[in-house]
Amino acid sequence: MSPQGVKEDVWIPTSCGGCYAQCGILAHRVDGVLVDLTGNPETPAGSGRICGKGVAQLHTLYDRHRINYPVKRTNPEKGVHADPKWQRISWDEALDTIVSKFKNMKDRRGCYFQATTVQTSEIRFAIPAFMRSFGFKNYWVSGGGLWCGNGAHFMNGITHAAWSIIPDWTYNNYTLYFGCSKGHGAGHAALQSSQWVADARARGMKAVVFDPFLSTQASKAHEWVPIRVGTDAAAALGMLNVILNEIGQWDEEYLKLKTNAPYLIGPDEHYVRDRDTGKPLVWDAGAGRPKTFDDASIQDYALLGEFEAQGVKCQPSFALLREHVKKYSLERVEEITSVPASTLRRVAHEFVEHAQIGSSVKIDGQTLPLRPSAAIFFRGSQGHVNSGWNCLAIDLLNQVVGAADVPGGAMGHGPPVCHGHPDTGKPETIPYTCKDGLMIVKGWVYDHKPYPLREPKPPTRLDLQDMFPCSVYNAFTIMSPDWEKYLEDFKIDYRPEIMINFGSNSVMTMGNAEDVTENFLKKFGFVFSFNIYQNEFTEAVADIVLPDCSFLERYTPCVTFPSTFCHPTGMDHWVWQIRQPVVDPLFERRDFNEVMLELAKRLGIQEKYYAETNKLIPVRYGGEMSPEYALDPKGDYSWQDICDRVLKDRLGPDKGLEALKQTGLEKWPTKVEEMYWRWFVSVRIPIYFEFFKESGEKARKLCASFGRENIQDWSFYRPLAEWFPCPSHEETDPDFDLTAFSWRPSFHTQSSTQNNPWLDEISVNDPYVYLIQLNEDTGKAKGLKDGDDIWVENKLGRRIKGPVRLVQGMHPDQLGIAGCHGHWARGTPISRDKGQFFDDLVIVDEKHTDSLTQGTDACVRVKIYKA
Amino acid sequence: MARYGFVIDLKRCYGCYTCQVVCKAANHTPKGIDWARCVQAETGSFPSTLRQMLPMVCMQCAEPACLEVCPTGATQQDENGIVTVDQDLCMGCKYCMMACPYGSRQVVDAWETYFPDAEGALDPYEAYARKKWDEKYGSGVATKCDYCMDRVKQGLQPACVEACPSKARTFGDLDDPESEISILIRREGGFQLNPEFGTDPSCYYLPVR
Repeated sequence: MSPQGVKEDVWIPTSCGGCYAQCGILAHRVDGVLVDLTGNPETPAGSGRICGKGVAQLHTLYDRHRINYPVKRTNPEKGVHADPKWQRISWDEALDTIVSKFKNMKDRRGCYFQATTVQTSEIRFAIPAFMRSFGFKNYWVSGGGLWCGNGAHFMNGITHAAWSIIPDWTYNNYTLYFGCSKGHGAGHAALQSSQWVADARARGMKAVVFDPFLSTQASKAHEWVPIRVGTDAAAALGMLNVILNEIGQWDEEYLKLKTNAPYLIGPDEHYVRDRDTGKPLVWDAGAGRPKTFDDASIQDYALLGEFEAQGVKCQPSFALLREHVKKYSLERVEEITSVPASTLRRVAHEFVEHAQIGSSVKIDGQTLPLRPSAAIFFRGSQGHVNSGWNCLAIDLLNQVVGAADVPGGAMGHGPPVCHGHPDTGKPETIPYTCKDGLMIVKGWVYDHKPYPLREPKPPTRLDLQDMFPCSVYNAFTIMSPDWEKYLEDFKIDYRPEIMINFGSNSVMTMGNAEDVTENFLKKFGFVFSFNIYQNEFTEAVADIVLPDCSFLERYTPCVTFPSTFCHPTGMDHWVWQIRQPVVDPLFERRDFNEVMLELAKRLGIQEKYYAETNKLIPVRYGGEMSPEYALDPKGDYSWQDICDRVLKDRLGPDKGLEALKQTGLEKWPTKVEEMYWRWFVSVRIPIYFEFFKESGEKARKLCASFGRENIQDWSFYRPLAEWFPCPSHEETDPDFDLTAFSWRPSFHTQSSTQNNPWLDEISVNDPYVYLIQLNEDTGKAKGLKDGDDIWVENKLGRRIKGPVRLVQGMHPDQLGIAGCHGHWARGTPISRDKGQFFDDLVIVDEKHTDSLTQGTDACVRVKIYKA
Repeated sequence: MARYGFVIDLKRCYGCYTCQVVCKAANHTPKGIDWARCVQAETGSFPSTLRQMLPMVCMQCAEPACLEVCPTGATQQDENGIVTVDQDLCMGCKYCMMACPYGSRQVVDAWETYFPDAEGALDPYEAYARKKWDEKYGSGVATKCDYCMDRVKQGLQPACVEACPSKARTFGDLDDPESEISILIRREGGFQLNPEFGTDPSCYYLPVR
């Protein structure tokens, strides 16, 4: 006992769960009470820093509005704003009810799992293992469609083997930002990126930010380029046109050896294939004849020119791309984007100049291409009808100058190549090739890899997602008032019955709250939910709510793999981080993982649950499980036992849960071959997406066979990048003269942080977050004053109200709202009526969906008027 | 003996408010009290617009305006230039609040919970934070940032410096010409906020561009 009567004073290493960056933190506990959170200097995931959102989790842990006991709904009426009239029940009653509901299902396939994006590790294997063992495929990561990414993740997977791309700030000198804030608090290795981009800025790195409003990143940039939302692909393809047809500069070697640029394309838009081997042909300019792409005798790959091979006239795909982008004359692009042609031309020149094509750098004894230009994108680019192509078009800028996964360029965030821990060789994730030489990721976050595309098959899921070749999340079916018609037409022979919700608030993260609730959520006869707060979702539809642990009260065996957003770019360390309870759960809170394990046991599916876990671990964490640590289907394991086995299997016998609890992490140095992997891994990536066409044709025929050929616009499935407009771009009603978009403040995480009093305090004082931002001149022309309450109304007559903030930092045609605010749940009184709920304006239907990736279009044509 | 000072690099800061929140955790400041607030505002006109971030701390002025107006002698300046408030002498007259041109002083009239709508007793953290606050400050007295002197005495950095995600903040000794902050101020054109107030602040800013 210390003189002050302090019995305990400890610092516990764990991982933050305030966003998806999963930074390493130290929790300070005094006499059983968590009193502070700081960064953990031992980990590269945060490197000793912490952000305000992280520190504020102190209040989330102890928030007196949290759920402490299981409750059941006593008001049978469900709906947005309904009062569930919660009644406290025992855990026994809650679990007995849940088990009996499961056992009395008509068809187990009618289950639906909905989970939060923030607790990333739980969704890696615990949830899929339960789904597979109980026998259902319906799954949704909350906010996935609207707040996270279809286009970005899918397309980054095809071209970078990664979930996201980020500049290599160690060497980068010039970055084009499209609708993303990486390095400015976004959860993409948030804390390291913040430091590294600040270092880069200090040494003269230039950033040019294409954004409709003066975002944080635009404020810090060398140049802000105001652009209409959702027109990113047009801008990128216009600049590509300048690069390929005016400047005439590209990275020959990269295109020839690392892409399908030299592959010969016939008049049918497909590869010309070798008759014997079926392999795509290229033109060997040295030998003057076609050869298969992997022929060792090729002297020089032709990138331009017209040839004849296998009796057909053909051209290298690069020549087609070069010709294709001529469609994007800067005059046309200016009309679409509002960005002056002179700006686009200048930026294209600067991008190429800074790429320093031909230069190299020596790192750890290895000479590598140095390409210090990068074009990056995220939510803003992809939340549109052109989701997939916006992302691919922007990335083509990196590809033509060879600035992909080399020093200074756009890096697959992760990185995707990992040789594993020195003692175990796990996780091991090295991409490999398909028969056409194109890259396939090894290990992937999601069930279906980005490439090869999913084979279109009759759907089995309630959202029909598994019928589409590139879909990650698919909302237009389930949010439709005609969902039943979709199910009938596509001959789905079961119906929604039970929804399991883990931590999400989908009433506020999928689109209009009434649509989500009435068309989708209310179709489930029974909904049970693990939450830390009663939120808009639980109050609208949950029948039973279970008091979950927060991330500071639970064990998780790994939060930093699969490496999506946790590791910094540049040479540093790999880190395997765990989560552990820093205080004992208060009241009757129980960890989601333990409860799901208990449910599996009570449902008699634990043998399958263990077996499925054994199958999932190798996919998610790279490498087979050793028999010693694989779960014995006949065994009986607690969640901590499972954590312990995963750790020992991946990191070594002396690095089980007890050992990792001491350190919170295991780290080892990254290698040049991993971080700058592109020239060390023998794979090519497409600049010509030959496979889309065939896949789209199959999907079209499949849908036609169900009588629903027009469910999507199949012209999106084409080989060359394109800009397709959103409905907002084609609106002609002069009253609807503004396009509304949402943005994400770095100090909030989707809909989960607004009840935090410290974050609310800074939001109240922030000049933008709780207000509707409108260009000052536009506002004045409409007779508005700063602070006036206005209505923002969409074409369906749905409207939201709030005070307007007249700013200069906003495109005159556009209107910005920070997303996921304006809560109304009884359970989160601090967040109530603070800011606006943008999603209420979002229209989710076939027309407002990317036909390629099924991403939801999140820009809305609106009119505004004084309230 | 030193003259403790701050350098805040506006080129590096991107307005994430970490300083403001971390300060609350480190100093247990009650609701409404922010010693390290970050002010944001827009300048310029479309499209040449800039969103300015201005993170504030107490300027620990060499000639503190708050010192001369304090009627009880509660406000003092220690040997390292830190302006302190003797809570026993302070009577909460708020003259210092009015005198400080940088808005660095705040008085808690009555401690309030962050969870006014919640039932029951304070949660363990708020109870802890309140106890810590009451031990050191309590209600009805002037309070202010002291560059985390308790931490500095233990060899630590001020909390906001340690946490700042973009490493925009540096703490050190202005009297030492070779200290990191002195070098930064010289090399990068560090400036004081509103030097015309004549208080000679110990916090310097580095220009945004």
